[in-house]
Amino acid sequence: MKFVGKSIKRVDGVKKVTGSLKYVDDMKMPRMLYVAVKRSPHPHAKILSIDPSEALRLKGVKDVITGEFYTKRGGLYLEDKNFLAVGKARYRGEAVAAVAAESEDIAQAAVELIKVEYEVLPAVTNAVEAMAPNAPLVHPDLGDYKVAPVFFPEPGTNISNHYKLRKGDVEKGFAEADFVFENKFYVPHVQHVPIETHTAVAQMDADGYLTVWASCQSPYAVRQALSAAFDIPLNKLRVMSPAVGGGFGSKAGTTLEGIIIPLAMRSNGRPVKLTYSREDEFENAYVRQGLHATIKTGVRKDGKIVAVQNEFIWDGGAYTEYGVNIVKAAGYASAGPYDIDNVHTDSYCVYTNHPVGGPYRGFGMSEIHFGIEQNLDIVAEQIGISPVEIRRINGLKPGGRTGTGELVEVCGLMECLDNVIRDIELDKEEPASGPNKRRGKAIACGWKAPSMPNNAASSAVIKLNEDGTAHLLVSAQDIGQGSDTVMTQIAAEVLSISPEKITVRTGDTDHTPYEWQTVASRITYSAGRAVYEAAQDAKAQLFELAQIKLGVYKRDLEMRDGFIVSQIYPDRKVAISELALGLTFEDGSGVHGPIIGRGSFIPPNIRNADKKTGLGDHPVAFWTYGAQGVDLEVDVETGHIKVLKVASCFDVGQVVNPQMLEGQLEGAILQGMGTALFEELMLKDGKILNKSFVDYKIPTSDDMPELVVSFVENPEESGPYGARGVAEPAMVPTAPAIANAVYKAVGIRLSTMPLTPEKVLAAMKAKGQTK
Amino acid sequence: MRPFEYFRPSSLKEASELLVRYGDGGHLLNGGTDLIVRMRDGLTLPSAVIDLKGIEQLSRIREDEESVYIGATVNLNQVGRHETIGKSFPYLAEAALSVGSKQVRNRATCIGNLCNASPLADTATPLMALDAVLEVFGPEGEREIPIRDFFVFVRKTSLKPGEIVKGVRVTKTAGQGVFTKLARRKEVDLSMVCMTLLKAEDGWRLSYGAVAPTPVRLPKTEALLNQGAALEEVLSCAVSEVKPIDDVRASREYRLEMVKVMLKRGLEQIEKGGAVS
Repeated sequence: MKFVGKSIKRVDGVKKVTGSLKYVDDMKMPRMLYVAVKRSPHPHAKILSIDPSEALRLKGVKDVITGEFYTKRGGLYLEDKNFLAVGKARYRGEAVAAVAAESEDIAQAAVELIKVEYEVLPAVTNAVEAMAPNAPLVHPDLGDYKVAPVFFPEPGTNISNHYKLRKGDVEKGFAEADFVFENKFYVPHVQHVPIETHTAVAQMDADGYLTVWASCQSPYAVRQALSAAFDIPLNKLRVMSPAVGGGFGSKAGTTLEGIIIPLAMRSNGRPVKLTYSREDEFENAYVRQGLHATIKTGVRKDGKIVAVQNEFIWDGGAYTEYGVNIVKAAGYASAGPYDIDNVHTDSYCVYTNHPVGGPYRGFGMSEIHFGIEQNLDIVAEQIGISPVEIRRINGLKPGGRTGTGELVEVCGLMECLDNVIRDIELDKEEPASGPNKRRGKAIACGWKAPSMPNNAASSAVIKLNEDGTAHLLVSAQDIGQGSDTVMTQIAAEVLSISPEKITVRTGDTDHTPYEWQTVASRITYSAGRAVYEAAQDAKAQLFELAQIKLGVYKRDLEMRDGFIVSQIYPDRKVAISELALGLTFEDGSGVHGPIIGRGSFIPPNIRNADKKTGLGDHPVAFWTYGAQGVDLEVDVETGHIKVLKVASCFDVGQVVNPQMLEGQLEGAILQGMGTALFEELMLKDGKILNKSFVDYKIPTSDDMPELVVSFVENPEESGPYGARGVAEPAMVPTAPAIANAVYKAVGIRLSTMPLTPEKVLAAMKAKGQTK
Repeated sequence: MRPFEYFRPSSLKEASELLVRYGDGGHLLNGGTDLIVRMRDGLTLPSAVIDLKGIEQLSRIREDEESVYIGATVNLNQVGRHETIGKSFPYLAEAALSVGSKQVRNRATCIGNLCNASPLADTATPLMALDAVLEVFGPEGEREIPIRDFFVFVRKTSLKPGEIVKGVRVTKTAGQGVFTKLARRKEVDLSMVCMTLLKAEDGWRLSYGAVAPTPVRLPKTEALLNQGAALEEVLSCAVSEVKPIDDVRASREYRLEMVKVMLKRGLEQIEKGGAVS
């Protein structure tokens, strides 16, 4: 292949490194109004009254709205949220009113003048406690909410989804086991911290046509959600996402758009803008849900795991319209990448008075694997085999069955494991750098499938220009992962034209074709396949015309370097440019007209799992498997962990752009390291104690270990050129691999993230490991 | 942000008069890395911001045979990269370069770091160990404040109304010193605990940050070190001389433990002849 598999330079690179790319917050429009939001100081409180009169009297204030202006609930999978609180506030920081004013400063000042009377309600700030029968209810009306039929809320409780997986007979499995172990793990809330915070501008024309510019991953999903929430038909609602400065899931759904739209509706055509501060980002965008996990494992003496029982209790926060699906994804992936006959999982999405949980890179996988992969090392040690052996014995291989009973056809897990063992030199003992240091190496595996509706669709349009160049239109969003470049490479490969000849346009629901969402590590796979189909469609049209022009039957034609060429008589060829607007005959007449390729794609044959058991023969598009190895050092006096080296290998099907893929994997490892070592939203009675970078730390370049990234390529049949997604899986094994390596180094097992120096030291003291 | 008057005086006298005129509402602006953040968060609401960067004489590092003097508007990168400071007080240079990020250090000043009076001011511990002297200009004229008398409490100094710190003077001190900072992350982080240990010709000097309401010297521990007391005794004494609290960065217990570990390591490093002046 000419372009696929090559390290083509990023097509958006120059604009990004020179700072010339315009993001939504860069937009300044005439007569623009600026929004500030009044937020609840209580985690749970009834709103008795809101008095905006003093705010409205402030010079420069144009409008104040409250939730009462638009009381209709919305949500992606479960309609449980309002963009502005209606009746009560369910988390600290929830929007209760919003001001539109001539400047940000005026809007901020006006917010202070809004008077809100609350009746404070008892708050529930622990998911396990929230499941107790007498716990305060965050959503007493849960039974009335509209919900997609694959989710199972339990009205009268705080459980908004109870996912069940029942494979085989877990009791029989435990009875057959030689050993049974039970371990508990906790993963706290973290935030995505994209470099660009959430931002949006909305403007409504006199005829009711609404335009929204938003930094969002999924313009079409946002359009659909806003259309439903505000009763605007899709042909009167345009969502544009001109550029996204990082998303990691936080910009997948709708957040602040719904706050500004009512103001835009009432502002007589004036554009209305809201940009989140970093503090807002921590409190009022999405956070990764917390997880309390219990894993019970039945294992035979020979290392074969015969039964697993999981209980996952997720702290979904105040609204779980999106979170219910994370809980489902975690449930059907709960066996991990292992072949286990008896699996019994309960995965609960639980409302609390915490910030709103939502999609975060990994979609539940990083959280459950923190337990699954540590648990495996614990079990292996207890029965006297190595971490590698237990994974070789139980790891999925072609011919095996997943937790939902699906037959595994393509799976490079064992190859990935071999590669990381080699790259991390797992069996080579190496000295620590000093007398107070202990060194440890360990591994972890991981898997993930795209968590999306079975029929999540992609489409692409490719328009050929009369000079032989092309425009590629998609709504797959380049959120930093490099999709603009990957889409370009796939089109270039099919048409055999150089990538510089293709301009990609994205993110405009009026002008670029449908894309379900830029999430789920599905863009290279799904949008890539639509681009492949669109380019094939353009190619087929070119061949129709070329066979007339050249007198060569179309089956004998091929694309080569901008020409349609006969494979038999290479001198018979015609340039794309000559056919781009149709075929012209010698008498000047023409046929066909401009070449426009069209591609649509839905992953084939994904079917719902059984509602009662969760079992299904093809419930997801594909699984991505991989492994990572970590080499680290622990300071036994301070508890500090220094990660020296991380090796990573995933089965990606087909590498489209090696350099970008390496970069993506490296970023994922750093993000995984961040959660393992530093990151945690410190929540106390519903209040975030560290909602800024002063006390919420993410890794810097100085924390970067040596990284060795490799790939295995077992093609995915339905993906473009065999490619499958890896963006999210890439960070899944990092945190448990670090935890396992800490155990190797100093013999302590930490069941909660992050592994702070203080926790490490306390655990070592408890075990009598310090000097 | 509340509206405020902005002044950029060209003399200390003018700046001091403005401070007096605006009273509690008058705030000095230097690098702004603390003030601007506090203003954004609504924690400080000045009626007047008085920018010192227009006062030419404050922008230099001066030295003579006995001492080095750092002017009030000298930034932390300038302190950290200064040749004489690097040679004579490597631990001070290290402390200066441990604050924030390179970009922050291009704005933030050493004097600002002191006047902010944070318990964890990184540059305070080496200056405390060096018995630095702050040169102050005020309505009543000039005076000097030994750094030990400068910090009063969290965010409180002994400056009187209208007084402005012109700079800090340190006497060249022969000896070996070590600055260490323990933070959650290697770069761009606040100290969980920071320490300077100095073995001067006249004896040991030891100071800590982030373990009390102000940066502190540990005179009893210094005395024990001078007497050549046993390590265990020295370490327990150090712990008894500090009063850390629990916060989001670390617990009291962990800080106390680190006070010992850092001192022990500092002593080892000096014994090995680590950082020398």
